[in-house]
Amino acid sequence: MIHDFHYLKPGTLKEALAMYAEHEDCKVICGGQSLLIVMRQGMIAPENLLDIKHLNELNYIKFDEKDGLRLGATTTHRAIEKSEVIKKYYPALVAMENKLASIQVRNWGTIGGNLAHADPAGDPAPLLIALKANIKVGSAKGERVMPLDEFFVDYFEIAMEKGELVLEVHVPVTQPKTGIAYQKFNYLTNDMGIVGVAASVTLNGGNTCKDARVVLGNAGPTPRRSKKAEEFLIGKALNDDVFAEAGKIASEDCEPVADIHASEDFRRHVIGVLTKRMLKKAFEEAQGK
Amino acid sequence: MSTEIKELKFTTFKTNIKYSVINKRVHNIDGLAKVTGRATYTFDVKLPNMLYGKILRSPHPHARIVNIDASKALAMPGVIAVATGKDTPGVKQGIWRRYPELCDEQILPLEKVRYIGEPVAAVAAVTEEIAEKALELIDVEYEVLPPVFQPLDAIRKDAPIIHEGVERNINVTRHIEWGDVDDAFAEAEKDGYIREDWFRTSSQHHMCMETRAAVSSFTPDGKLTVYCSTQSPYYMQALLAGVLDMREGDIRVIAHYVGGGFGGKFELDAAIFCSAVLSKKTFRPVKIVFTREEDFIASKRRTPMHYYIRTAMKKDGTFLAREVRVFTNGGAYTGMGATALYLTGFFCSFPYKWRGYRYDGYRVYTNTLPSTAMRGFGAPQAMFCSEQQIEWMCADLGLDPYEVRRKNAHTECYEVPGQAYIQSCGMTQCIDKIEAWAKSKGNLGPNRAIGVSAAGFMSGGIFNWFDTPYSFSSAVVVINYDGKVDLYVGCQEIGQGSNTTMAIICAETLGVKIEDINVYSGDTAHSPADLGAWGSRQTLMAGNAVKMAAEDAKRQLLEFAYAEMGLNIVYDLDIKDRWVHVIARPERGMKYEDLVKRAIRGKDGQRIIGRGYYTPHRKGMISPAYSYMMQAVDAEIDPETGKITLHEVMTAHDCGQPINPLGLIGQLEGAASMALGFGYLEDQPMDEGKILNPNLVDYKVIRATEMPKTDMIEIDTYEAEGPYGAKEAGEGLTNPTAAALGNAIFHALGLQMKELPITSEKIVNALKEKKEKQGK
Ligand SMILES: Cc1cc2nc3c(=O)[nH]c(=O)nc-3n(C[C@H](O)[C@H](O)[C@H](O)COP(=O)(O)OP(=O)(O)OC[C@H]3O[C@@H](n4cnc5c(N)ncnc54)[C@H](O)[C@@H]3O)c2cc1C
Repeated sequence: MIHDFHYLKPGTLKEALAMYAEHEDCKVICGGQSLLIVMRQGMIAPENLLDIKHLNELNYIKFDEKDGLRLGATTTHRAIEKSEVIKKYYPALVAMENKLASIQVRNWGTIGGNLAHADPAGDPAPLLIALKANIKVGSAKGERVMPLDEFFVDYFEIAMEKGELVLEVHVPVTQPKTGIAYQKFNYLTNDMGIVGVAASVTLNGGNTCKDARVVLGNAGPTPRRSKKAEEFLIGKALNDDVFAEAGKIASEDCEPVADIHASEDFRRHVIGVLTKRMLKKAFEEAQGK
Repeated sequence: MSTEIKELKFTTFKTNIKYSVINKRVHNIDGLAKVTGRATYTFDVKLPNMLYGKILRSPHPHARIVNIDASKALAMPGVIAVATGKDTPGVKQGIWRRYPELCDEQILPLEKVRYIGEPVAAVAAVTEEIAEKALELIDVEYEVLPPVFQPLDAIRKDAPIIHEGVERNINVTRHIEWGDVDDAFAEAEKDGYIREDWFRTSSQHHMCMETRAAVSSFTPDGKLTVYCSTQSPYYMQALLAGVLDMREGDIRVIAHYVGGGFGGKFELDAAIFCSAVLSKKTFRPVKIVFTREEDFIASKRRTPMHYYIRTAMKKDGTFLAREVRVFTNGGAYTGMGATALYLTGFFCSFPYKWRGYRYDGYRVYTNTLPSTAMRGFGAPQAMFCSEQQIEWMCADLGLDPYEVRRKNAHTECYEVPGQAYIQSCGMTQCIDKIEAWAKSKGNLGPNRAIGVSAAGFMSGGIFNWFDTPYSFSSAVVVINYDGKVDLYVGCQEIGQGSNTTMAIICAETLGVKIEDINVYSGDTAHSPADLGAWGSRQTLMAGNAVKMAAEDAKRQLLEFAYAEMGLNIVYDLDIKDRWVHVIARPERGMKYEDLVKRAIRGKDGQRIIGRGYYTPHRKGMISPAYSYMMQAVDAEIDPETGKITLHEVMTAHDCGQPINPLGLIGQLEGAASMALGFGYLEDQPMDEGKILNPNLVDYKVIRATEMPKTDMIEIDTYEAEGPYGAKEAGEGLTNPTAAALGNAIFHALGLQMKELPITSEKIVNALKEKKEKQGK
């Protein structure tokens, strides 16, 4: 059962940051899609809940051909999924959102909440890291921006100071001749992934890899890049053998743990398969550009 | 089997009767109440002065209860009462009442706990929150005992004893045998083919939308009313009388709406029992609703089985004999597990003719959540093993599996020696239809195949281990002055559409419309005793009782019509669509409404009352009738990740005369989702007896996105024992699916999967093993 708490409802972002600084033992609630589960299971019982869901200042999707994409923290998964401009410039984001939970959850859950929750099995993080996204956080004292792959510290732990909120995700313009792909493996289409892999491939004229990212979901305490696989890829002429080898490298360059759904071995195996497949998919997309 | 049964030969035939209500697509009569939120489930029941109960559960799989100290809980403001085993008459109860040694479960035990989650105390408080907090204040002192979790460990000589006096923890044994098994195997050894395999089937949770729930109200006049979520109000009334030391007649059980049962809700559960005990203690109504987690960890589950099958056939595919040995994980108590043990043994012979058949089943106690009945009642486990082995044997011998099944299939008017007498049977037609369907699909491409499985099921059980003195089903039909019909039945509506089925049969028989019928069920105060909704019994058994009651009432009406119309006695009268008429001259007649008015006046103002009942006689050991089916699953498997994609499930189905085609489709779809889940998703992994996935994130149930297209080809048969030729249609559809999926995987990838659920990981490992073997 959920324990009693004080409910705080700020009118503006400024007020929210002030309240957050002021209250001890205070948790932010946005869509509540992750928070309420851990509260219900009795894993946390905060004294105060600061509701930011209605803060429209943080609810936006902005796109600029030079600056890229900016998503306010309270933007819902459904808004991202349904955005025409995201569909046009970042179709992999739409495809990822399509398989994130159910429509009901996507209607209410937010991108800021998803990233702040820092579940290593979360879908957006690996893909956003492959897209070289940055995250903006801020408190009553000021704001700072960091690359998203430095944001995740441990299981459900992020690089935020007391009083800080997630404010914005920034996705820079993708380089030319770049392909992006993401897929998770699971038993039920809209479940969290048993593992997931995002890949980005940038080609150097022909079939040579100029830049690559391989980001693994649920393959350790945080979403993580397989830098070994990336290094292996960069400078190589890409073909099926290279993708398979990169898959093998990635499957060894991670720390998945066994649970009731899959053993560690099987997770490594599927990471290998998905890495190979996503690299190939990203490669083919890059070729087409 | 006695010769009496042989004399009973009927042939199956189709009648040409045009029905006015039967076989029309009818929406459930309670659908509107449900979709508008007006249906009152137990969860919705709120009585004046009501308390809320919560249950304290054992954290140990096996322990002696040394002492329970509830004083701190009782001192907490808002706590009204705490009940432990000492507050009960201490009766060991069970549903196999004819066999006292199988009545082994004391809800709120006095001496020992035998599984994690077993209730040890219950609190009643003014709010649910207080009741929950009070649980933490109850001190239970346990002496922890060594546990045992696996049946094959529990039968060892040195295993801990779970129930005193039960040696090697063997709870029930079952033996079924006919024909000369050894002789047939000897023949196969000379010039035939014998194959043996071990299989393992997993557990499955019933996953009812509505968790266990009860509101009990004990009043100072010594009477108890219990609202609860049950498949059988009559069983609850009788069982409660036993454990509370009360007269059945002083207990009223009400279950108007039930959110699913699937075999998990016809035993006495802790919500019902503890709320009744607390209400007796406090003289106030007490409500207990299980959380989803409680339902997962402490309501009984599908029986996991270790299966050994040895089968002998001639080289041409004629079946000779089969030998089956099964060890089931019974968990801590008997529940309905004894029946599952029997039925799995019987249905492993299904739907084929064997010269010799021998089954030995052992139900073994372990320190785990008890296992019990679940949709299919042991048959899905049997089919998973049997139908895969048959497919593999056909492949081993290079035989056509359709042809082999056809050759050996049951046919109408067949006797399973000493066990069953089969009247209607459309098995061969089912095989023909699925063969044609599968072949019409052509080549499906790599890593994709159609797998098939035959199956059948009972239409209600003949056995009376409950020891009821009453007819198995009864019904009362009351016709009122305005022509409205009150139908009182004890059969239970649990979402499967039973009330609608009964209304259809009643309306068809009386010759009125379905909207003329009010169905009153789910209340022991007015419903005649009926064993309830389990074992696929209601359409046939309660349907027969309703038909008889309606015929009784109709005969009384027609007596008045004869007199009124002054007919020559050679003419017959009937009623159809509210028109009472001479059969030979349908235009001659009168309105049903007018006849009813006159008849009631003629009876000195008495309403017309018809009575009906049904108890099976001379139909063998198992069931009065059997459904048959052949199912095909079209599945594609990713050979790299093992991921299964389901394309389609097609079933050819013989259920006699369908009563409501819409209800049938609902049953088909529900069964497919449940049985596919059994095939590749659902399981209850445990660590030292603790269930690791007691929530809907980790327990995987098929959702809409995974659900493949399902469809059905109806096979025309008529079952002489069923009302209007109807038989079982719903539970049996769960039986073939896991086997058909296994066979699809066999044909797609050449793998023989012997363990449920067939997860992607198991497929990948099996492929690896296969490659390694081939490499050698
Ligand atoms: C049934 C179900 C299925 C799901 N399936 C998936 C899936 O397939 N893939 C997937 O990735 N996710 C899945 N999720 C998770 C979920 O969709 C996201 O994690 C969710 O959208 C989080 O957003 P929220 O706004 O609801 O966050 P909340 O639940 O409100 O908050 C989550 C956490 O983030 C913190 N927080 C929220 N907003 C901020 C902020 N602006 N600044 C700082 N901290 C903040 C909260 O304090 C809390 O700790 C599923 C959830 C459910 C219920």
